Amino acid sequence: MRWRLRVVHTTGYRYDGPVAQSYNEARLTPRSDDRQNLMVARLETVPATRAYKYTDYWGTEVNAFDLFTPHTELKVVASSVVETTGQPLPAVDASWNDVRSSESVDLYAEYLEWTSYVPKHRELTAVARGLRKGRTPQETVLAVSKWVHDTLKYQRGTTGVHSSAIDAWQAGEGVCQDYAHLTLAMLRAVGIPSRYVSGYLHTKPNAAVGETVVGESHAWIEAWTGEWWGFDPTNDLPIAHRHVWVATGRDYADVSPLKGIYSGGAATAIEVTVDMTRLA
Amino acid sequence: MAFVSEDAEMSRVPPRPAEPQLFAGYLDPRRPHADAYDEMFDPVDGVRTAYKRLHDSLSPLQPADLTTRSEALDRALVDQGITFSLSGQERPFPLDLVPRVITASEWARLERGIVQRVRGLEAFLADIYGDQQIVKDGVLPRRLITSCEHFHRQAAGIVPPNGVRIHVAGIDVVRDEQGDFRVLEDNLRSPSGVSYVMENRRTMARVFPDLFAKHRVRPVGDYAVHLLRSLRAAAPPGATDPNVVVLTPGVFNSAYFEHSLLARQMGVELVEGRDLFARNNVIYLRTTEGEQRVDVIYRRIDDEFLDPVHFEPDSVLGVAGLVNAARAGNLVIANAIGNGVGDDKLVYTYLPEILKYYLGEAPLLPNVDTYRCWLPAEHDEVLDRLDELVTKPVEGSGGYGIVFGPDASPKELQAQRRRIKANPRGWIAQPVVQLSTVPTKVGGRLKPRHVDLRPFAVNDGDSVFVLPGGLTRVAIPEGSLIVNSSQGGGSKDTWVLAPRASAAVSELSGPGLGVTSEEASTPERGPELNIAQQQQQ
Amino acid sequence: MLARNAESLYWIGRYVERADDTARILDVSVHQLLEDASVDADTASRTLLHVLGINPPDGAPLDVWGLTELVAMSPETGSIISSISSARENTRVAREVVSSELWECINATYNAVPERQRAARRMGPHGFLSFVEDRAATFAGLADSTMSRDDGWRFLVLGRSVERVDMIVRLLMSRVGDKPTSPGWVTVLRSAGAHDTYLRTYRGALDASRVVQFLLLDRLFPRSAFHALLQAEACLEELDRGPAARIGTGAEASRLLGKARSDLEFLRPAELLDNLTGRLQALQTTVREVGEAVSRQYFHTVPWIEWNNAEVNL
Repeated sequence: MRWRLRVVHTTGYRYDGPVAQSYNEARLTPRSDDRQNLMVARLETVPATRAYKYTDYWGTEVNAFDLFTPHTELKVVASSVVETTGQPLPAVDASWNDVRSSESVDLYAEYLEWTSYVPKHRELTAVARGLRKGRTPQETVLAVSKWVHDTLKYQRGTTGVHSSAIDAWQAGEGVCQDYAHLTLAMLRAVGIPSRYVSGYLHTKPNAAVGETVVGESHAWIEAWTGEWWGFDPTNDLPIAHRHVWVATGRDYADVSPLKGIYSGGAATAIEVTVDMTRLA
Repeated sequence: MAFVSEDAEMSRVPPRPAEPQLFAGYLDPRRPHADAYDEMFDPVDGVRTAYKRLHDSLSPLQPADLTTRSEALDRALVDQGITFSLSGQERPFPLDLVPRVITASEWARLERGIVQRVRGLEAFLADIYGDQQIVKDGVLPRRLITSCEHFHRQAAGIVPPNGVRIHVAGIDVVRDEQGDFRVLEDNLRSPSGVSYVMENRRTMARVFPDLFAKHRVRPVGDYAVHLLRSLRAAAPPGATDPNVVVLTPGVFNSAYFEHSLLARQMGVELVEGRDLFARNNVIYLRTTEGEQRVDVIYRRIDDEFLDPVHFEPDSVLGVAGLVNAARAGNLVIANAIGNGVGDDKLVYTYLPEILKYYLGEAPLLPNVDTYRCWLPAEHDEVLDRLDELVTKPVEGSGGYGIVFGPDASPKELQAQRRRIKANPRGWIAQPVVQLSTVPTKVGGRLKPRHVDLRPFAVNDGDSVFVLPGGLTRVAIPEGSLIVNSSQGGGSKDTWVLAPRASAAVSELSGPGLGVTSEEASTPERGPELNIAQQQQQ
Repeated sequence: MLARNAESLYWIGRYVERADDTARILDVSVHQLLEDASVDADTASRTLLHVLGINPPDGAPLDVWGLTELVAMSPETGSIISSISSARENTRVAREVVSSELWECINATYNAVPERQRAARRMGPHGFLSFVEDRAATFAGLADSTMSRDDGWRFLVLGRSVERVDMIVRLLMSRVGDKPTSPGWVTVLRSAGAHDTYLRTYRGALDASRVVQFLLLDRLFPRSAFHALLQAEACLEELDRGPAARIGTGAEASRLLGKARSDLEFLRPAELLDNLTGRLQALQTTVREVGEAVSRQYFHTVPWIEWNNAEVNL
């Protein structure tokens, strides 16, 4: 099945006091690969800015924009049209020896690293090792994702942008970002190179053409078991036409959709919406 | 500041005593590290040729002369404000009276080795922040790069207009027991100390004019000319008259004196982060006449504090927007961001491979033998021989974190063992190198003290200039091998002798601008009373 | 030129002048206290402290030594030592725009302070004060002979001139309560280094009106308020090269200075002593406002910006 989707992602900020200067980077442009084709993408801001585009180390398209006129509100609208398809489980299922060979360990070293979002944890490692027993690497990815899906309860508000996999695990609940980080922590514990994916999820499997639904910013993982492939631990789902991917990295910090600095009062997000329309 | 010329004193030399008092007991065989190479004395043949004249000038001096000169030296340094900050306190930079001498041929070898190293490391950095061909070709493990603390992914894709990333390098070298130069570490980020090279020379010339008269020492005073040329050559193509500034963290930085000296000698502005701002990827300077565009920033702020957008968001030292201005090609940051990947001490151990890969050459200057704790075999050997090796963190400078196995207590060794096991990538180990020694004033005598050398290289894209000399640092406590100024070390003026009959003599002088007038004109004078008038009054 | 450096130069000018003038004022006051037994040391000291803007301590009555401690040695703002170290700090951060000779002059002065201070506590303040005056003169001479007549020089002279007006005003303030025939007026002249010149100009006739006239209005004496205002005005005129400079006085600082100068210029000498206090206070206000206007116009220095992370919980 092939879908054509329009994604309109709006983020609004309000500041306590006027902000004189702000420097920002948005990582909101979907990428193209064999599963997904980007047709058009645009970034607009209010107040208007001139964006500077570049591709970062991870291959993500970055829109950098600066503001110099005092403002109390900022709105960022990223819109794009992409074509997506599903992705069958890869036919290649490398052996544990392949996955842990010194070549793969060297090549994918960054995706085996511990980070502040994905820290090493003894107990979690033990669980992951238990899940690995008797399974191939590919089966292990599925089993770990399932375990994370069953272990965490989807709940907003418990964790924040800076919560680590361990925070979420100990709280027993979290959002997609936490599901992804926890999965990464366990996969890396058993030596499977794995990375964080940010993107969008269309929430209605049987949407009609032309129907606009409320989508969401989403995160899932990709693992290397002979080749890279994605899986969605939040929903315990393979990656399919409802997933639109934007960026990959070691963890959230490498792909954070909107980051920047400004001088002035504290900011609150007043509006975050993702409208997704199936066009074909 | 007037110094009494002491030429007069020098000329009335008392009859020479049998053994010069100053050098009494110099080569005591019971001294620590007695195997070290002494640069003045050969144990068999006596005074080495390079030091002959220096030795002859020094030996007739009385300990009291030494003290007088040393006091004059200190006073000169303090009055000129040649100081460095240590734990927030300003101290005179300790300069030893006795210069260190390097012969023309020794220097030529060293210079070639340094130029080769800089060229190789330039190619390496360009590759690492570009296609990483050296990794793809399997010459270096990818993990070596990605695990570097100073591999800054933010810098990937930033291509400097003239390709130079290492505008200034400081290559630390030592002389081993055979007297051969070996590289101890490379400094490619913001190597400091060159101001002391220049000021040490200026101060020595004030206090020891007579010594200079007897040697042909190559000048170091024109460093800033070379630096400015390199920085201007690095400017973005559009800038016809590039605006260069020096960016300092501020007056409380330990190297502030140097930042200020370099800015003054180059005749460019010394700025702090708050003097600059970015708009639409162009950097401007706040002046009394409004905004002024900046093309090249010679920065002396660490990468991590340079731009709060890409690095530490709470940095107040940097300038928001700097990294993207460089990426957009409107600004050149010197030295480039992320150079730390080239001076990581583990990467250092791969220098022979790096030089071979990019230049097809073997290193002209050898490294010090180094064990890599991240390779299992060498890791085990290091742990076995921890008590005889020097273990160093791969990252960091100033001598922090270094453990000298032979001097460490069993408890310290145990702690070090744990640290290495926890993070093998973070450590390297080297056998104790008995750094060469040079006579150094200790009390009223001259004693052998261990030294290293940091020559400075400036790359303008066409050629690599190595300042003849460099900063010689000396460990003052007896037997100490740690020369960092943050660890209480001193410094020496470093003399590179000009080759006999060479062009080097005229480095600073050239043909004169005009012909000296035959007829000297007498200064005019005002009306004066003549003798007769005076007498009548 | 770099706005931050301009600001430093302006303040170097002010602090050096302040150290110099404070030393002169203190020197003469100490002499008067020692020579004239009829003066009440405590009251005189407190008046002087008030005029110099130094907080007088409560408690024990002040004498010559206590006064010297406060005016010369204390680290409090306004003391000679604080002015010297502020001048040095400002030079240190602007070293690439002052000549090495100037830096060495200020730095050596600063380094010599502790020794001079010890000597002053032992042998009386005069040696210390004349040391400060000498070093200020050396500074002025070196500045004159080693600095280009560029904007940096103009900011330095501007600072010096502005401070000079301020100090002359303070000096006169310290005497407004005196009788017109009081010998105190001689000390005023001595403090300003104006005694000899005054005597030559007025042939020895000494009275308050003429002294005030000389120090406020004299066109030729470089330490008169009028002369200093004129000089400050000239600096600003040369600095102000923007297009706005063609009509009227666009810049607030020039306008303020010009107004103060013309107020003095067209004043009938006879009216000078009417409401002298008010006039001096007005002049002092002008000085403060000029400082603020200059800073607004030229020193676009910004405080360190505190950045906030824009990442918020969604």
